[in-house]
Amino acid sequence: MTAGTTIQKTDAELGLARQFDETRANLPGNDWVREQREEAIRTFARLGLPHRRVEAWKYTDLRSMLKDAKTPADADLNSVTDAELYQALGADLHGLGAHHIVFVDGVYDEENSFIIGDEAGLVHMTSLAETLNNPPEWFKSNFNKVNPRQDDHVGTLNTAFMRDGAVIEIVKDARLKRPVHLIFISSSKSAEAITERHFIHVAQGASATILESYVHLRAPDTQRNSVTELKLETGAKVNHIKFQHEGAKASHLSNWMVSIGENANYRGFQLTIGAKVSRNTINVNFHGSHSQADISGVALLWDEQHSDTTMDIVHGVPNTLSRELFKTVLDDRGRAGFQGKLVVKPDAQKTDAKQMAHGMLLSETAEFDAKPELEIYADDVVCGHGATSGQLDEDMMFYMRQRGMSMDTVQTLLILAFVGEAFELIEDEDIRAAFTKMAEAWLGGKSDE
Amino acid sequence: MAGIQDETIDQVKDLDVDKYKYGFTTDIEMDMAPKGLSEDIVRFISAKKNEPEWMLDYRLDAYRRWLTMEEPSWAILNYPKIDFNDLYYYAAPKKKIELDSLDDLDPEILATYEKLGIPLKEQEILAGVKGTRNKVAVDAVFDSVSVATTFKKELAKAGVIFCPISEALQTHPELVRKYLGSVVPATDNFYATLNQAVFSDGSFVYIPEGVRCPMELSTYFRINAENTGQFERTLIIADKGSYVSYLEGCTAPQRDENQLHAAVVELIIMDDAEIKYSTVQNWYPGDKDGKGGIYNFVTKRADCRGRNSKVSWTQVETGSAITWKYPSCILRGDNSQGEFYSIAVSNGAQQVDSGTKMIHLGKNTSSRIISKGISAGKSSNCYRGLVSAHRRATGSRNYTQCDSLLIGDKCSAHTVPYLEAKTPSAQFEHEATTSKISEDQLFYCMQRGMSEEEAVALIVNGFVRDVLQHLPMEFMAESQKLIGISLEGSVG
Repeated sequence: MTAGTTIQKTDAELGLARQFDETRANLPGNDWVREQREEAIRTFARLGLPHRRVEAWKYTDLRSMLKDAKTPADADLNSVTDAELYQALGADLHGLGAHHIVFVDGVYDEENSFIIGDEAGLVHMTSLAETLNNPPEWFKSNFNKVNPRQDDHVGTLNTAFMRDGAVIEIVKDARLKRPVHLIFISSSKSAEAITERHFIHVAQGASATILESYVHLRAPDTQRNSVTELKLETGAKVNHIKFQHEGAKASHLSNWMVSIGENANYRGFQLTIGAKVSRNTINVNFHGSHSQADISGVALLWDEQHSDTTMDIVHGVPNTLSRELFKTVLDDRGRAGFQGKLVVKPDAQKTDAKQMAHGMLLSETAEFDAKPELEIYADDVVCGHGATSGQLDEDMMFYMRQRGMSMDTVQTLLILAFVGEAFELIEDEDIRAAFTKMAEAWLGGKSDE
Repeated sequence: MAGIQDETIDQVKDLDVDKYKYGFTTDIEMDMAPKGLSEDIVRFISAKKNEPEWMLDYRLDAYRRWLTMEEPSWAILNYPKIDFNDLYYYAAPKKKIELDSLDDLDPEILATYEKLGIPLKEQEILAGVKGTRNKVAVDAVFDSVSVATTFKKELAKAGVIFCPISEALQTHPELVRKYLGSVVPATDNFYATLNQAVFSDGSFVYIPEGVRCPMELSTYFRINAENTGQFERTLIIADKGSYVSYLEGCTAPQRDENQLHAAVVELIIMDDAEIKYSTVQNWYPGDKDGKGGIYNFVTKRADCRGRNSKVSWTQVETGSAITWKYPSCILRGDNSQGEFYSIAVSNGAQQVDSGTKMIHLGKNTSSRIISKGISAGKSSNCYRGLVSAHRRATGSRNYTQCDSLLIGDKCSAHTVPYLEAKTPSAQFEHEATTSKISEDQLFYCMQRGMSEEEAVALIVNGFVRDVLQHLPMEFMAESQKLIGISLEGSVG
């Protein structure tokens, strides 16, 4: 409330500014890219790290959570073996029969990446580093355009520091049977900052499953800042799934910016298990009518994990539909924040939007905060949201216990049923099964304590 | 139902272009403080009220604090910057009023209240005819001062203190000092702090232990003078095991410039006590293009201090150009209960940002929020609420339902609920919907011979029914009419 106080820069903020000065010469990109970076770092200097007083960061005070700025990861590739990938991903996700695009500590690993022959002509992939050195016109005109937010603190950091990432084109009318699996693995023993940015363009009538896996080999306190810009053209269909299992001390700042064209169908899902601090920003923008977005997620948190999902769904054109379902299970001192905003612009008549967020608290010290929001400027709409917070239902537990089940079994079954509702929304059966197993393992790990 | 509809429509017909029937002014000699705000004005108000030294210090402290504060800007409201130095902070009818004899009351004022449907005299007479109808004791606040309070003697018999707060400062300074600012402290927020510095009058209610207040208490606020801000302060204390139902109504003349109203209401509820607080807010809303109207920035908060205490806020918000109001409940005592029932109707260029806070601190506390927002014309209507459970608030429960109805494609509706649970045994549920009036329902009604306007009024009355039934009888009928009138001109 007090006026005109200038906020003292934190160590992390000062560190980031210093690092930009030190590394800018080594970051990829031509003059145009350099200009973008310079502008971004200037914006960041003004904004600083977000804190509780910034409404979009109300439940994640990044300013106090990010104690220092880690040094950017080495440009030299740390090599990993396929066996190590297997170890980090687990048998199920490694064995999906997917195209692999691998990044080790934020750098493209050509060795481990492959597009399987039968679909080779349908997916084109270039590394961001390469693209930045000679950005084509389409790249320039689409860069940061999907959902530009003037006040996106973390997004400006991404633009300033982006080093590598995947630039993917799914060609017109391609119907991919195999998922495109983007694997981000941190292998370094020392703490590092990784800044990645991905562009995925799904051309007219194409359909694909894109899986982003963020996993770790060792458990360094990686600081990851990752942005995915995804554009669906007319009639495209995408299953966009994220699996986040970073190291226990890591911070994971992720930002999805999705633009949906006419008659397109977008299905997003995020599973959050890892990282000490994770923030999932999701911006979805409809730019074509008769399109649809289903976005859901599950977060399983314990220890002192903190996770925040902040989502803006903007219905800018008539006749669009969106559905969101988010489930969070919290144990120990786990804390989760959920902010979901549905915006219906004045001309977006016939919008149908519904959003649900559920929190389940298993311990006395866990915390769940939710802020679903509706902002509606058109009248012929059906919009709704709901949020709940609670614990396992005593009646249900009693009923099952009375039938001879152990407490552990009862809890596991009820929690799996709770998150299962969201898992059901994943269309790819193998990925759904893999995620369900991970949830089981997470619950198993809990009862081993 | 049909009778009310007809009546509503007749009433609408009688209205002038802007449909606001309380827009007249009362021509009366006023005693005004100089324009603007300074320490001298604060001293002036305090001196006018013949206040004790501590009260003046209290005000000055708030004023100095206010100078360092910034106007909040987080609400979905859009209005030109308020020049706080371009207002009169004190305006009182010149004629001195002896509170005991209403005969001495300026006939102009008496006529004003009669015109508003608040017959101060008639009520006084009714006191002699016991049991004829529900009696309501009224405290009438005219600009900066309370001009009359009815039924004081009868209330005194029951031990109930019901008087203007300025009078309470003279007669019961110990009670005022003990409780004033204990729910809404001077540091609370920009408007509350301003109110703390310059509040001129309001109602004071004390219900002693074990007393069920023999009649409903009511305060009627009227802004009359031009360029005047109204800053009233209400303090209600329900001691152990007591009960009171309190009603509040507001109107203002129709003027081209905006006027400021920044009130603070504090409720204190002890063990096993209950306060039922109902508001019908019908300040002048401005014309259909947004010219004029009251800026209504109100801080209302109830502190359920005792075990098993209960508070219920019911509000019907149809007036004001800007409404910024979040009646809240601090559920401190174990098993305490908080309720919030709200109807917010906006039409023309009105902007509403209103809601509630339920802060669960005690064990097994429960709260319920039912909010119905109706926006029509070019108006904007926002529900903003917080439900939070402290770690100690085990077994707390909340149910929230917010429904918004949109009439016309130029209006907007927003819902911003915050839900914060720090204990697993807190069970919170929140639901919100936004839609327009169902075409099927409209068709069904119209097919049976109702005009579109009648059909909309009927459907809207059904939409708000859940809240209306929590209002005291007299208010219910009045509110139903008011909603019909507020929506006039929104269809077709």
